[in-house]
Amino acid sequence: MQPALLVQNLHKTFRNGHSLKAVDGVSFEVNPGEIFSLLGPNGAGKTTTISMLSALLKPDNSATGTSDIRIMGRSLITEPLAAKALIGVVPQDIALYQDLSARENLVFWAKMYGLKGAQIKTRVAEVLDLIGLTDRANERISKYSGGMKRRVNIGVALLHQPKVIYMDEPTVGIDPQSRRSILDGVIALKNQGMTVLYTTHYMEEAQELSDRIAIMDHGKIIANDSHENLIHLVGQKTRISLSINAEPETMVEPWKNCKGVSTLAVDESKINLLVDDSNLVLPRLFEAAAAKAIRITSVEIQEPNLETVFLHLTGRALRDA
Amino acid sequence: MKSLTIALNDMRRSFRNTFALLFMFVIPLLVTGMFFVMFGNIKDNDAPTLTAIKVALVNLDSGNAQTGQLGQTLVDALQSEGLKDLMEITLVEDAAAAREMVDAQQAGVAIIIPENFSDSFSDTAAKIEIEFIQDPTLTLGPQVVRSVVNQVLDGYAGIKITVAESLKMAESGTLHYEEINRIVDEYMSVTEFSSDKTPMIDLRTPATLPERSPMLALVGPIMAGMMIFYAFFTGANSANSILREDEEGTLQRMLTTPTAQTEIMRGKIYSVGLTVIVQITVLMLAARLIFGIQWGLLTSAGLSALAIAVAASTFGILLVSFLKNTKQSGVIFGGLLTVTGMLGMVNIFTGNPQGAPLGIVPLFTPQGWATRAILATMDGAAVETILPFALVMFAMSILFFVVGVARLKSRFA
Repeated sequence: MQPALLVQNLHKTFRNGHSLKAVDGVSFEVNPGEIFSLLGPNGAGKTTTISMLSALLKPDNSATGTSDIRIMGRSLITEPLAAKALIGVVPQDIALYQDLSARENLVFWAKMYGLKGAQIKTRVAEVLDLIGLTDRANERISKYSGGMKRRVNIGVALLHQPKVIYMDEPTVGIDPQSRRSILDGVIALKNQGMTVLYTTHYMEEAQELSDRIAIMDHGKIIANDSHENLIHLVGQKTRISLSINAEPETMVEPWKNCKGVSTLAVDESKINLLVDDSNLVLPRLFEAAAAKAIRITSVEIQEPNLETVFLHLTGRALRDA
Repeated sequence: MKSLTIALNDMRRSFRNTFALLFMFVIPLLVTGMFFVMFGNIKDNDAPTLTAIKVALVNLDSGNAQTGQLGQTLVDALQSEGLKDLMEITLVEDAAAAREMVDAQQAGVAIIIPENFSDSFSDTAAKIEIEFIQDPTLTLGPQVVRSVVNQVLDGYAGIKITVAESLKMAESGTLHYEEINRIVDEYMSVTEFSSDKTPMIDLRTPATLPERSPMLALVGPIMAGMMIFYAFFTGANSANSILREDEEGTLQRMLTTPTAQTEIMRGKIYSVGLTVIVQITVLMLAARLIFGIQWGLLTSAGLSALAIAVAASTFGILLVSFLKNTKQSGVIFGGLLTVTGMLGMVNIFTGNPQGAPLGIVPLFTPQGWATRAILATMDGAAVETILPFALVMFAMSILFFVVGVARLKSRFA
C-alpha cells in the first residue's frame, strides 16, 4: 500500500549567528486513514518538520536528492503545486485575516486552494456547519473567542477536502471545552478516511488520538510505534515522582545508588525515577531520605505511559526537556 | 487569477481600515479644504492683473533729415493705447532727472533715447542703442518694459535695413532722397508698426482650458502636493501588507496552498498599484467636484496620474524590501517619505510653484518629478510636454521595482 505521507531523511540547520541543527535525519511513513502524532517537548523540531512537509522550508539536502517528501506518491520537492493540493495545513498560530468575517476568510482561502464558482459556496457552507459557526459567519474574526478562531483556523485547511491534514499543536492556549471539541473533530476526520499528521507536546493528546506516535527530541525521531508498543519499550518499569522538604538535588546521588532504580531525573521541584518494582524500591528511597534527615512530602506512582517512555529514552521528563 | 484574488483581498482590507482611509482620502482633502476656506474671500472674478509700471522717458533724439524723428516714433509707440495698462509714462527733459527718479523710486524704469538715435538708422555701420535703467528691487515690471522696447527695436531693425537699401538706391541715382521718408512710412504702415491695432503683449491662458480663478491657482498646487505626498504613503503602506501578512502568518499559509510564490508576489504588487490608482482617481475627482480644481487635459492628467501611481507603488515596494518588520515601518515611512516628499515638493510648500528654491535637488526624488508633471498638467500642458517627466518616473520605477522585488523574493524564497 502506498503511504499517504512518506518522509525520508530530512535535515535542517539554522544559521543565525550560531549553527542550530533543528532537524537531523527525520524519516517516517504515515498510512492512509491513520492519525500519526509527532510528540516531543518544545524545541524538539516538530514545527520545523511540519514546515518542511508544508513546503515552507526546504530541507538542506533537498538539492542533492538525498531527502524526499511524498504526499500520496507526489513529491513535494519536484511537484510542489500538485503535492500541496493534497494537503491541508493547520498552523500553530491563528493565521486568519482578523478584519474579515469567517465567511470572507473561508471564501478567500477556498480560492487559494483552487476552488471555483458554486463549489466555493457549497464548501464554505459545509465547513461553517462543520465548525459550528454558521450563525456567526458574518462577524469579523477579531470579535471571536480564542476557541472559535481555532475552529476557523482548522476549517480553512478542510475547504478543499485534502487527503492529508497537518495539525501543528492546534490545542495550544485554548480552554478545555474548545480543546475537547478539536480532539473530537480530529477523530471525526479520521473516521471520514482522512490522514492526519498531528504534532503536540501533550502526551495525553498523542495517547488518545494516535494510531502511531513518533517521539522527537533534539531534531531526531527517537522512537516511532503504536502507543502500546512504545510502552513496552520501558518493560515493567514504574514511574515514581517524589517531592522532598529540601532541594531536589540533595537526594539525586543517594537515590540513584538505590538498588532497582534505573533512571532518575529532576523536574523543577520533583524527582522522577524509573524503577523495576515500586513495592521493593519505595522503602529503600524512604530509608535513604531518613539517613540524610530529609522528609518526603509527596509520592506519586504511575503505571508506564508516554511520559515514562520519554524519561526512559532521554533521561529527562517530557515537560522539562 | 489567484494574483487578482490576492490583490482584491488586500484592497478590501485597506479600504476597510479607518487609518488607511484617513491617510488616503480624508487628510489630503481636509488640508486642501482648510486652504480653500482660508482663502475663500478671493473672488473668482478677481482676474490676474499687472500693476502698470512707472516709466521715465527721455527723448534726446535730434532727428535726421533722411529718416525723420524716429525717437519721437518710439515715444509714440510706448505711449500707445495698447500699452497704457502696462506702463505709466512720464516724459522727462534730461537723462539725469530720469535717473534720479529711478533712484528715488518715483519710477521703476528710465528709458533714455540718445541724441543720435535717428542718425544711427542712416549710418549702416552704427548700432542702435537705448539706455535702460531699472529699479533693482523690481523684477517683473522692468522685464515687461524691456520686452516691449526690444519688440519695438526689432521693428526698427527692419526700418534700418529699408533705409540702408533706399540710401544705396539714392546714391546710385535710381531713387530721389526725398522718396526715402515716404518709403519708411510705407514700410511702417505695411508692418502696422506703432499702430494700436496689435497689442505688444497678449496675456492669455491656454485656449483649451477655461481661465483659472486666483484662488484655484493657489489651492490647486496644494491639492496636487497633498495628493502626491499621501499617494507615496499609500504606496508604502500597501506594500507593507507583505510584512504584516508575514507576521500574521497568512503569508506562510498562502505558501502552503497550491499557489506559486511568483503569483503571490504578483498579487501583492497589483494590490499596491491598484490601491494607489484608486486613491489618485478618487482624490482628483473629489478635488474637481468639491473645490473645482482643474487638472488640465484629460490625456495629460491620465499620464501624470499613472506615472505617479507607478512611482509611488514601486517606491513603497523598495522601502518595504529594506525593512525587517512592521515595527520599523512607522519610523521609516514617517521619516523617509516626509523628507523625500518635502524635498520633492519644496516648490509647492514654499508657495512658489514655478520657482526652484532648492535648484535641482527635488529632481533626485520621485516626488519632485511627480510635482513637475502634475503642475505642468494643471497649467494645461499637452501630453508631449508631460511625457519626459513621466518617462523619468517610469525609469525610476523600474529601478525601484527590480531592486525591491529581488530583495523580497530572496527573503521569502
